[in-house]
Amino acid sequence: MRIIEHPIIEFKRGRKIHFYYNGKKLEAYEGETIAAALYANGIKILSKSLRKGRPRGFFCGIGKCSSCLMKVNGIPNVRTCITLIKEGDVVEDNDMVLPEKEYPECKFTKLNTDIAIVGGGPAGLSAAIEAADYANVLLIDENHRLGGQLIKQTHKFFGSKKEKAGTRGIEIAKELEDEVRKKNIKILLNTSVIGYYDRGYHFLVAVDKMNRTVYEIKAGKIIFATGAQENMLLFDGNDLPGVYGAGGVQTLMNVYGVKPGNVGLIVGAGNVGLILAYQLLQADVEVACIVEAMPKIGGYFVHAAKIRRCGVPIYTGHSIKKAYGNEHVEGAIIAKLDEKWNFIEGSEKDIKCDFICLAVGLSPTIRLIAQTGADILFINEAGGWVALHNEYMETTKPGIYVAGDLANIEEASTAMLEGKIAGLHAVIEFAKNDKTKIMEKIKEYMEDLEIFRQGYFGIRPKIAKEKIWRKYHEKMGNRRNS
Amino acid sequence: MKDRAEVVIIGAGINGCALAYELAKRGKDVVVLEKHYICYGATGRCGAGIRQQWATKENALLAKKSVEIFERLSEELGYDIGLRQGGYLIAIHDEEEMRQAKKNVEMQRSIGLPVKIISPDEIKEIAPILDPEGMEAIAATFCPTDGHANPFKTTYAYARAAKKLGAKIYKFTEVKDIKVKDGKVEEVVTNRGKIKTKYVVNAAGAWSKEIAKMVGINMPNKPVRKEALVTEPIERLFDCMVISFKHGIYFSQQEEGQILGGIPSPEEKIGYYTEPTFSFLKHMAYMLGKYAPPLKHINILRQWTGFYDVTPDALPILGETNIEGFIQCNGFSGHGFMIAPMVAKLLAQLICQEKLDMPIDRLSMERFKGKITKEKAVVG
Repeated sequence: MRIIEHPIIEFKRGRKIHFYYNGKKLEAYEGETIAAALYANGIKILSKSLRKGRPRGFFCGIGKCSSCLMKVNGIPNVRTCITLIKEGDVVEDNDMVLPEKEYPECKFTKLNTDIAIVGGGPAGLSAAIEAADYANVLLIDENHRLGGQLIKQTHKFFGSKKEKAGTRGIEIAKELEDEVRKKNIKILLNTSVIGYYDRGYHFLVAVDKMNRTVYEIKAGKIIFATGAQENMLLFDGNDLPGVYGAGGVQTLMNVYGVKPGNVGLIVGAGNVGLILAYQLLQADVEVACIVEAMPKIGGYFVHAAKIRRCGVPIYTGHSIKKAYGNEHVEGAIIAKLDEKWNFIEGSEKDIKCDFICLAVGLSPTIRLIAQTGADILFINEAGGWVALHNEYMETTKPGIYVAGDLANIEEASTAMLEGKIAGLHAVIEFAKNDKTKIMEKIKEYMEDLEIFRQGYFGIRPKIAKEKIWRKYHEKMGNRRNS
Repeated sequence: MKDRAEVVIIGAGINGCALAYELAKRGKDVVVLEKHYICYGATGRCGAGIRQQWATKENALLAKKSVEIFERLSEELGYDIGLRQGGYLIAIHDEEEMRQAKKNVEMQRSIGLPVKIISPDEIKEIAPILDPEGMEAIAATFCPTDGHANPFKTTYAYARAAKKLGAKIYKFTEVKDIKVKDGKVEEVVTNRGKIKTKYVVNAAGAWSKEIAKMVGINMPNKPVRKEALVTEPIERLFDCMVISFKHGIYFSQQEEGQILGGIPSPEEKIGYYTEPTFSFLKHMAYMLGKYAPPLKHINILRQWTGFYDVTPDALPILGETNIEGFIQCNGFSGHGFMIAPMVAKLLAQLICQEKLDMPIDRLSMERFKGKITKEKAVVG
C-alpha cells in the first residue's frame, strides 16, 4: 500500500519501528500517524459506531470527525489520525475500558501574549508572519507540524505571483514555515485549544497531551484560523469504511505516502475532486469515474481536461445512490438525476471500486469561535455557519479575528491574504510609529483580495463576503445605536 | 395563535410541559408559551438526577410520589424517557454529617423509602470506581430507587402527549405583559398576539421573578449561574448518582457511557450570567479525579451553564397567589426535574378544583413572612 515512487513528492520516511495492533506485530515509520501506519498495513476498520456497532474507517484524516478513535497504550478514544506512532505502541480496538495505571500528574503553565493565533495553516501562518514584526505572537496548532492542509497540496497554485502562483502547496507550506521559524514567534505544536473564556480579557486554554501540559493563555487579541471540515453526503452505505473525505485521502496519500486503495470513485467535480483525481493517477491509483450532481463541471476547465485526457469519465448530472460491500467498500451504484435532483429509475450504473472520495464541499470549523460569543450566522454561500466580521477580519467581539476557510470557504491564496490582513490589523495598537505603514499594507492586501475575487470562481466567495460584512455592520450599528 | 385558553402556562421546561399534559388529560384547554424552545432553560441543562433523599418531608414526599409516576411514565406517555434506577449515593464526611444523615434516613424510612447508611467498603461494592479515601467519606447513604432519566426525552414525551390531547405549545413566543382586572388575571400579551385566559401558570424557571413582576408580585427568587460538564463515553462503570453536600459535587454515568456532573463553581454568580468558566472545569476535573481516580484518563467533551431558580429556603413556590388565577410553579432551586411529575399532578388538581393528593399550602409564598426552615440537602 506504500507509494515508493512518485513523480512530484519524495517521501522521506523516518526510522523503521514496530507496533502492535490487537496483539499482532506490525511495521511502521517514525513520523507517520497511527491511522496511516495501520492503513499501510491493510487495516481499514478503525472503530465501531456507538449505538449499532457498525464498522468505521477514517474519514477526515485531520482530527475533526472522530471516526478513527482507538485505544492506544491502554487509553481509550485516541484520535489515531493525528497521533504519531511510536516504537512499541499498543493499538487496540476501542473497547472504551479505562486503564488501571495511574495517571501521571500534569503541569499548568501560564502564558501571556499580545496575539494568540489558533491554527497553523496558510491563514494562521501568514497572520503570524505579519504580526510578529510588531507584537509578541503565540501560534498554536494541534497537529505535529505546521502548514495546515497545504502539506497535501501537490498541485501548482493559480493567481498572481505575489500569492505564490505557480508554486505547489507543499512548497508554500515550507516557505511559510521557514519564515515563521525565522521570526520570534512562540510555537506550540501537538497542542489543542480546548476553550475560550471571557474573563474581562481574552483567555484560552490549550492542552498538550504528549507533554501533559495545560496552557492558560492570556491574550491581547486572538486570531482564529481553525479552517474547515469536509461535508458528508447522504446515501445508503455512506458509513462503510472506504468512504472518505477527499482531503482525508490527500493526507493519507500525499503526506504519508500510503495508497487509499486500487480503484477509486470520486463524488464531486469541483476543483478538489478534479485535483484529487489527478493526484490519485500520479500515485498509480485507478480512478473509475467522477460523478457530479450539477449539470456541468464546477472546477477549472484545465483540470477537467487533464483528467479526461487520462481517460477518466466525468458523469455530470449524476450522483451516488449507494455504496456496498462487506465491512468495506466493494462498489457503488450511481444514477442520473432529473431536474428536481431525484434519481432517474433505470439509469443506475454499478461501478466497481474499493474506495469512494467525497469532494462535496467544506464547512467552517466554528466550534472555538462560537465559544467567544462572536455573532455566528448561517450563510449558504460561505459554506455554512460563519462568524460575522468586517473588512479587517475582526468579528463582532472586539479583539477576536477570523481568517481563512473559517471565515468563508475559499482558497489557500485568499486564506493567506486574509491572514495577513488580520495579523496586521490586530497589531495596530501595539505598533507605535508604524500605524500609517500598516494601514497602507492592509490596503494593498485588500486590493489583492479584490483582484483575486474578480474571476468566475470569485463570484460565490464575493457574495458570501459581502453578506458577512453587511451583517457585521448591521449588528455593530444596532449595538452602537442601542 | 389562539386568542383564548382556559389555562396559559409560561415556560416549556419539564414543569410547564408536565402540567400541560396533566391539565389536557383532565379536559382543560391549555396553551404553553415558550420564549425559546422546549428544554431551553434549566431542564435541558440539568444533571438529570431523580433523588428522594431529602432533609425536609415536603421534598422527600414530592420526590417519592414523583418516582412512582416516573416508573410508569414511559408507558403512560408512550415514549421511552430513559429512566435508570441505579440509586443515589450520598457521601457522609464527618460526625456532624452522620448525625444529620441519621435523622434524614429515619424520616425517609418513615415515609417508606428503602434508604440505608453504608460503609466505605459497601461504597466500593456499589461503585468500584469510587475511592472513599479520595472522597473523604466515612460512610454514605444509599437509596436504590433513586436514579436518573433523560430530561429531553421526558419533556418531549410530556409535550407530545399534551399536544395529542389538544394542548398547544407556542415556541419562540415571549410574554410581554399580563393584564389583571379586579384582582383577576385576564389576558396574556405576547410578541405574537394576546390570549384571554382564566389561569396563568408561572413556570418560567429562572425568569419567573420577571413574569411575577408583570402582575405586581415581588418574588424572593434569585437566578444563580450553575455549571455542568459531560465527558466522552466509556464502558459502563457504575449505575448510581454520586453526590456530596459538603463538596457540592454530583455525577453519574449516562445511557451511552458519558459522565455528567457538576459542582459549585469558584466563580458562582447571582444574575443572568451565561458564560462558562475555566475555574469550574478545573475544579470539577480535580474533584472527579479525587472521587473516581480512573476518570483522570478520559476527555471532557463539553461544559455549559444554566440557572438554578433559588428561593431562600431552597423549596419550590407552588400554588395560588393574591392575584386570582395566577398560579406559581417555580423556585425549584436545582431540583425541578425530579419532582415535576408530582408537582404537575398537584397543580392540575388545584386548577381543576379536585382533592389534592397532598397539601401544598406550606409551599406558597406566604411562608417567607415567618421563620423559614432551609432544605439542607442541596448540591450542584
